[in-house]
Amino acid sequence: MNVATNNELKSTIALSGLYHVIDPEIGLNIVDLGLVYEIQFKEDEHLITVVMTLTTQFCPMGESIVDATKQAMQETFLDYEIKVELIFVPAWSPAMISEEGNAFLNG
Amino acid sequence: MFIAGANSPIKNTDYRVVLPFYAYAALAFLVATILMMCNVSAFTMHHFNEKALAITHTMALGWGTMMILGASHQLFPVMIEGKLHSNILAYLSFIFGAIGIPMLVYAFYMFDFGIIAQTGAVLVNLAVISYLSNLTISILKAKKHNVHAISAFTAVIWLLVTTFVGLLLVYNFQTPIFTQASVHYLSLHAHIGIVGWFLLMIIGVGARLIPMFLISKYENQKTLWWVYGLINIGLVSFIITFVYGANQMLSLISVALIAAAVILFGRFIYKAYQKRIRKKVDEQVKTSMLSVALLGIPLVIIMGIIAIFSTLANQQFVTLYGFTIFFGWITAIILGMTFKTLPFIVWNKVYHHVAGLGKTPNPKELFKNNIFVANVISYLLGFAILSFGIINTNIIALNFGAALLLLNALLYNINVFTILFHQSKLK
Repeated sequence: MNVATNNELKSTIALSGLYHVIDPEIGLNIVDLGLVYEIQFKEDEHLITVVMTLTTQFCPMGESIVDATKQAMQETFLDYEIKVELIFVPAWSPAMISEEGNAFLNG
Repeated sequence: MFIAGANSPIKNTDYRVVLPFYAYAALAFLVATILMMCNVSAFTMHHFNEKALAITHTMALGWGTMMILGASHQLFPVMIEGKLHSNILAYLSFIFGAIGIPMLVYAFYMFDFGIIAQTGAVLVNLAVISYLSNLTISILKAKKHNVHAISAFTAVIWLLVTTFVGLLLVYNFQTPIFTQASVHYLSLHAHIGIVGWFLLMIIGVGARLIPMFLISKYENQKTLWWVYGLINIGLVSFIITFVYGANQMLSLISVALIAAAVILFGRFIYKAYQKRIRKKVDEQVKTSMLSVALLGIPLVIIMGIIAIFSTLANQQFVTLYGFTIFFGWITAIILGMTFKTLPFIVWNKVYHHVAGLGKTPNPKELFKNNIFVANVISYLLGFAILSFGIINTNIIALNFGAALLLLNALLYNINVFTILFHQSKLK
């Protein structure tokens, strides 16, 4: 898990919320799955941008995962506007799964 | 590079387009097993009899084709990484098929190739034309043309060839179109459908989905292109051999090419299994993988029929060959893949707007896994016992096997309709 950010402290808080967003097919949270690439904070605009991906571009659960991500962030950062950007370059690969995620899948 | 923002997330195919196909296919499977239960003697006669034709077409069109049409309206956009062109064409495809198939099956059952059979066959062709038009425009608009999408697209062209030949055969019963009786062309019609439509489509979709569900690191587009080429060359060579009335032994070359494709595909799936990240494989994926193994049975039988048993005395092997295709390989993959796709489509329909607001059930909780396990057990037992009954023309085994397959269809329908009628259970 290697999430780029411009605010380490707030990013840690954000990730604690995102650990509750589960990919329904795999049963693993999106952080350990390696779907979250970046969390950027713009304090002057009260804006948080989460840059993430999906396991496949047309993942049937994609819309739900994106909505759940937005909801989880909003619950943690009530005063902020939350923006979720989906990117597919670099494409997700199983190599992006964290050690904890691999342990879960092997369990 | 930003592809899509959260406010314009990629849209899946509307569930209203897809779900009717699932419901229809599940009911058709039930009807096929009821027809089989009531007519087991059809498995003791020459395969060209009215009851066998009715059961085969219920399985091939009502069950296999309608299920694949439904699922592919959802999955094709995933494969081409684009959008389905038109919901209206998808609805038309369903309506034409839903009306045409029972007409055709009824006509076969009554062995009446008059206006009902002809109208049914025309409607089935219109369903396929609607579907093919939709896919053609979708693929032309799409950014990615990978082996999975090309396989699926080619398969639909073969489906149209199959249903068009079928239409001509129906007319040929009343007004001679061909030089010989329709029964002569039966194997041509059947094999274009089995190899061109079912095999190519299932391999194209399976090669995309099975590794995805296994979370496998394995990728090998080159192998899949070989599989694609071998199947198409094998089928074209079979058609040429048939049309020019060449020695039956030459058909072995076509079978060998297709067998090579199946072996390569089996190897591909095995490698994907070996390189999977998710070690625990669920029952649904196991059932789908079993279907790949079941593909070997009809291949061994057809090679045996051509090479050793090419006499009328071995009609039972021909019947067994057809049975292992429709009730073996095709049914097994649908039984497995239904519960890897349908729960997610319904989950999205019911819980999409509340995602992240509360604890939603897992899509796997939308159906009963113990019913699924009972479903698979009754299926495997029914398949084995009925196969035994066909080879030995044993009426007791045929009845017992058919009863188990009927039970299997009932359990399958319970789970499918439990999912379809699922109401929100927000915790």
